[in-house]
Amino acid sequence: MNCSDVGRVIDAYGDGELEAAEAAGVRAHLESCPICRQRVADRESLARLIRRIPYYQAPDRLRVAVAAARRPARISPRVLAWAATVALAVSLGSATAIRVVEARRRADATAAVAQEVVASHVRALMGAHLFDVRSTDQHTVKPWFLDKLNFSPPVDDLAPIGFPLVGGRLDYFAGRPVAALVYQRRQHPINVFVWPASDTREAPADTREIRGFQVQHWTRGGMAFWAVSDLNRTELDQFVRALAP
Amino acid sequence: MPRGGFEEVVLPHLDAAFNYARWLTRSDADAEDVVQDAAVRALRFFSSLRNDDARAWLFTIVRNTWYARFAKVGRADQPAVFDDMKDDRPDEQLDPEALAIQQQAVERMRRAIEGLPVDFREVIILRELEGLSYKEIAAVIRAPIGTVMSRLARGRERLLAILECEPASGGAR
Repeated sequence: MNCSDVGRVIDAYGDGELEAAEAAGVRAHLESCPICRQRVADRESLARLIRRIPYYQAPDRLRVAVAAARRPARISPRVLAWAATVALAVSLGSATAIRVVEARRRADATAAVAQEVVASHVRALMGAHLFDVRSTDQHTVKPWFLDKLNFSPPVDDLAPIGFPLVGGRLDYFAGRPVAALVYQRRQHPINVFVWPASDTREAPADTREIRGFQVQHWTRGGMAFWAVSDLNRTELDQFVRALAP
Repeated sequence: MPRGGFEEVVLPHLDAAFNYARWLTRSDADAEDVVQDAAVRALRFFSSLRNDDARAWLFTIVRNTWYARFAKVGRADQPAVFDDMKDDRPDEQLDPEALAIQQQAVERMRRAIEGLPVDFREVIILRELEGLSYKEIAAVIRAPIGTVMSRLARGRERLLAILECEPASGGAR
């Protein structure tokens, strides 16, 4: 091989894409040719420099949007569970079965709200309409809801434990206006939806995960609370514990 | 069909997809649009993913999406818009002066690549940042392996020439 032969394959050589025999030919030439050795060395240092260029990382917004686009299950497990329950009710025909069905119906209603909560969270992030009122001051955010809702959502200052309030907005679930409070942990927004509970019995937080989002629901002081975020479970637990002591 | 669902197979490569799209479009906003569209396409064609290399498969979809959106309307090679230096990860062992020089060199290289025609730019990114083989790159850009090799060679020649003729101090255009 001479210099011009080597020049034709020098990139493939450096990239490890040559057949063994051809690579051996290049190596033999390099031993006797300082100019070609220099050309190989130049390409190696070029590659090292290029690999130092920082990677562009997908923004969280994009992650949320892509996660939201995921395919829904073909047959929802809920439908299957329903079918099983109805079959049970028919076979038993008893008051017990009716209670089971009733509990099932309530659980399904809650699951449907949870889906709505996640959908609203994703919509808010995608549409960038996260705030109607943007403020880190609870004494600004709370009064803002006063003339817009017939209830007053509790607004807490959790900045000292690392969950600053960033604002609030009005949202609508099932035709009813609800308060949406937005807190933040690093780059992760947390939406907290609040409205008067239909079942006002106090209930501790129950946790579920929907399409990669952590969702927690609890009832306190006659209000239904839903918190949703792409935060990890541990951090959202910490947040909810602070909010619902 | 790939093993695992869309989440496990595709989402881990979202950064790689975004990085490639960002180099193709040279714009954060356009890259986001492209990857979002590509993800929808990827979902639709997910069942056609035959082998285990979801990353290269995703690159192909990103590239097709980008091509459909931008290349046809002639925006694909609009002049580069330089934004601020991104967070470089320098060597911790270096003293501050050497570190600054290294950061400058990396930033100059980033701009030099951004200034390359997209045909050269993308093969360099796929090879150096993603470590794809010639065969894999050929599949992503739908070109023969020989074309991949010659574009890499010419792209590198240009970068080496730019580095040689640019003084170390003035990296700006």
